[in-house]
Amino acid sequence: MKLIIALLLLSLLPHYTFSQAQKFIINGTVRDKETGETLIGANVMISGQAGLGAVSNAYGFYSVSAAAGAYKMLVSFSGYVTDTIAVELSNNIELPVALEKYKEQLQEVVITSGRKNANVSRPLMGVQKLSIDEIKNVPVIFGEKDILKTIQLLPGIKSAGEGNSGFYVRGGSADQNLVLLDEAVVYNASHLLGFFSTFNSDAIKDVTVYKGGMPAEYGGRLSSVIDIKMNDGNNKKFGVGGGIGLIASRLNLEGPIVKEKGSFIVSARRTYADVFLKLSADSALKNNVLYFYDLNAKANYKLNDKNRIFLSAYTGRDNFGFGTAFGIDYGNLTGTLRWNHIFNKRLFSNTSLIYSNYSYRIKIKAGNNDLLITSKIRDLNFKEDLQYFINARSRINFGVNIIHHNIVPGVVTVSESSSFNNLTLQKKYSLESAAYVSHEWSISPAVNLTYGLRASMFNVLGPGTFYSYYANNDVKDSVVKKRGEVLKTYQYLEPRAAVSWLLNPSQSIKFSYTRNVQNLHLLSNATGASPTDLWVGSSNNIRPRIADQLSFGYFRNFKNNVWEMSAEVYYKKLQNEIDYKTGAELRANENIEAALLFGEGRTYGLELFLKKRYGKLNGWIGYTLAKAERKFDGINNGEYFNATQDRRHEVSVVGIYQASKKWTFSATFVYYTGNAVTFPSGKYNIDGQTVFLYSKRNDYRMPAYHRLDLAATLQGKKRKKYESSWSFSIYNAYNRANAFSIDFKDDPDDASKTQAVQTTLFKIVPSVTYNFKF
Amino acid sequence: MSSGRIFLLMATALYFFSGCEKVVQVNLNKATPQIIIQGNVTNEAGPYTVSITRSVPFDNSNVFPPVTGAVVKIKDVTAGITDILTETMPGVYNTATVQGTAGSTYTLEVMTDNKTYTASSTMPGIVVLDSVSFFINTFFGTTLTNPLPNFQDPPDADNYYFFKQLINRKPVKTFFVFDDRLSQGRYISRQLFNDSAYIKNLDTVELEMRCIDKNVYNYFNHIIEAQGGGNSGPVAAPGNPASNISNGAFGYFSAHTVQRKAGVFKE
Repeated sequence: MKLIIALLLLSLLPHYTFSQAQKFIINGTVRDKETGETLIGANVMISGQAGLGAVSNAYGFYSVSAAAGAYKMLVSFSGYVTDTIAVELSNNIELPVALEKYKEQLQEVVITSGRKNANVSRPLMGVQKLSIDEIKNVPVIFGEKDILKTIQLLPGIKSAGEGNSGFYVRGGSADQNLVLLDEAVVYNASHLLGFFSTFNSDAIKDVTVYKGGMPAEYGGRLSSVIDIKMNDGNNKKFGVGGGIGLIASRLNLEGPIVKEKGSFIVSARRTYADVFLKLSADSALKNNVLYFYDLNAKANYKLNDKNRIFLSAYTGRDNFGFGTAFGIDYGNLTGTLRWNHIFNKRLFSNTSLIYSNYSYRIKIKAGNNDLLITSKIRDLNFKEDLQYFINARSRINFGVNIIHHNIVPGVVTVSESSSFNNLTLQKKYSLESAAYVSHEWSISPAVNLTYGLRASMFNVLGPGTFYSYYANNDVKDSVVKKRGEVLKTYQYLEPRAAVSWLLNPSQSIKFSYTRNVQNLHLLSNATGASPTDLWVGSSNNIRPRIADQLSFGYFRNFKNNVWEMSAEVYYKKLQNEIDYKTGAELRANENIEAALLFGEGRTYGLELFLKKRYGKLNGWIGYTLAKAERKFDGINNGEYFNATQDRRHEVSVVGIYQASKKWTFSATFVYYTGNAVTFPSGKYNIDGQTVFLYSKRNDYRMPAYHRLDLAATLQGKKRKKYESSWSFSIYNAYNRANAFSIDFKDDPDDASKTQAVQTTLFKIVPSVTYNFKF
Repeated sequence: MSSGRIFLLMATALYFFSGCEKVVQVNLNKATPQIIIQGNVTNEAGPYTVSITRSVPFDNSNVFPPVTGAVVKIKDVTAGITDILTETMPGVYNTATVQGTAGSTYTLEVMTDNKTYTASSTMPGIVVLDSVSFFINTFFGTTLTNPLPNFQDPPDADNYYFFKQLINRKPVKTFFVFDDRLSQGRYISRQLFNDSAYIKNLDTVELEMRCIDKNVYNYFNHIIEAQGGGNSGPVAAPGNPASNISNGAFGYFSAHTVQRKAGVFKE
């Protein structure tokens, strides 16, 4: 594996080092002028040098090079005034850039010669980037702006539905999304069964979503990468912000540690509807607990021009309790320590130590049965990423990543008189490592290419006893491994390539191929994801899942890049997909791997996207036409069947209208074909109970889902020291009764009949939030 | 651990005052009628019954056409006795001589429409049902009373239990099964969760407890899971339960012990 990487690097380097002699380098960091926040993905262009340009990296760092001479450097970023800087290049220079936000949101954007057509000209496809600023007016339930909810309004990314925490990307299952918060994996990104995401918008800078064509630095999940970056905090002045809503309140503190050198931010959010329960006179209601909270903290400090350190942490937890009878709490804890180091003008490095933990606890007390169940997944992660800026046309990214996984599937502790025994399911250890290299290369002003390779390895580690099984689930054989001993090793090469061809400045075609390998699998045979679903690693029984994706796209901008449009088609082939035998017991089962079935899948679709980026009225329309299928021996006679997440049509419309300086109105509309489901095709009677007869897997459809949300924001008078706004929203404005589930049962009023009963979770939900900042 | 998700959903919906249910029309396919065989041999006195019916489409009434004129045999493999059953009512076949005993193995053979279906079941040993008690659950101000069977699980064997309830002598449609996978050797008092039958003050609840074999347990457990009453909530893709009868028949053949105990619920 290492050999391949080394060869690749060697083969690339000589090609460039020859032509570098007379060129000089400009590098620096792009920041917001007012707050000092770094800007990720800003375009840096050198005028009169077609194709010479760079994009600031995840830390706002850029590096471009050109021959000696006088230039104008243009730095642009969505929502900011483009800066034009005159540069006299006779030696290497360091040039920090500070961009100013558009003060008047109403102001029509003057399109400059900056690279506003990045979506057309860059080879990345299947990628969407959203900043918190862009989404702040998009309505969401209970007025809590939510970046994870908003990306589900983009084509190809589908909400798993109300009451489900997951989302599906291009026909993949919910566990195939890599959700990263400052590089740390967030294993359960939802609160309250998916009604809120774990990402408090006060703490978040932006999100980048990769549905395909993932760069080689990402790996470990098949369907998507959701890369979320936390705010660094204002490094110029201290500030307090927050919001008070019907369901939740937020508080945000940020400021410089040492002015211009370092900053910190602390954001907290808690829901408090259970406070109202406490006020109730009914003692049965009083004893219930129902809340969640999030706490984000981050600090960074610039040691010197070459070194900067970042420390970020997140914790959030849901807590439900019904008197003393039943209680559950679950949540994530993550931490990231990073060190940015600039070796020289060309080589940028970031070293990260990352901790991720997801755990849950269930407490049950019913009569003499006292139970406590705990479970967790814990990662220790080392990551080294290097970026080598060869010249303005060429950049190499390479690095390594090693993750140690520790999974505690379940520990059951019971009281003396319980009906159950104490139980500790065997802990699972594994090591997931990867090395990657990729090359971003502008072959000509019209043709851009990014290609690379990720070599990944997964070691199943002891201690433990590892079983293999017969088809009837009985144990066939077992192997005992000591601590640190390797039971099984999987190695894969994951090639990645993306190319774009600019037909003219406003049109391009793109093509990409990606292979992803996934070694962690979330087991769930219930209708929706639950916080207690179990993560398992690849093992002697479970092979890594593999996805190969091909996509092709046409991108076009209109009217001076005010409108952008894209059409993408994709085809994805999935291997070693997981399903369950009939009656599979996934709870507290040491032999859980015997209950699994392995098969394959294929998904394909067309995604259309039209976005108006500027103006009084802006927003987007997305449409997806898609199919997702799976095939397993032992299900549906081994024929392809519709995957649960198979939805033929999906439409989303987002509109934001700035009526005046004070008022902003917005609306979103979503429509999608119902999920594929298995409904009965007959019935019979067993021991007095009606039992249903099933024929084909997922041969029926839930009713189509559609919903309109509305929101209005009233901006208060801007004072020097104090800003405030009111936001009003209505979820499900026309009160549609969308189906959460359809259950088949005996008619309670007529024993000779059966009936279908549809459950709806949310009808119309109005809400109001007051936001402030000083 | 049971039904955690259901609790959460219930709570969430109640919390936001917006959940609702309604009866809907779903356009369902009509599956070809399947043969359904149910046969029991118990440790109680005979005759034992085998009933044979066919399934009907979902939208029909719950009237299941009997399969008449079948040749039905039950053999006590341990004792070497074969009993040819007589059809006493359309689709209902009774034994004459065979006597169920714990520890014995029985086979069933059904011949109808030029097809032969066979099954085998071994009657487990008796586990004594001591008593029936009650537990009152409180969720957001509403209460739900459930019965609990109380018994000692034998520590040296894998045991599988099946329960039916009669509330004031009226049978409740739902059945319950659990095994001792997580309870080996424990004194077991486990709630039987009613979701449609409600127990009121001074109601008499009689429990029928059966000790069943592993295959029969799997069969009933699959039914409960598919119907959404399982430990992990509704199954995403319900399937047909794996029957212990050969040749694609639906249903089961079970040799099991039976005990009955009643209790009166006092608030």
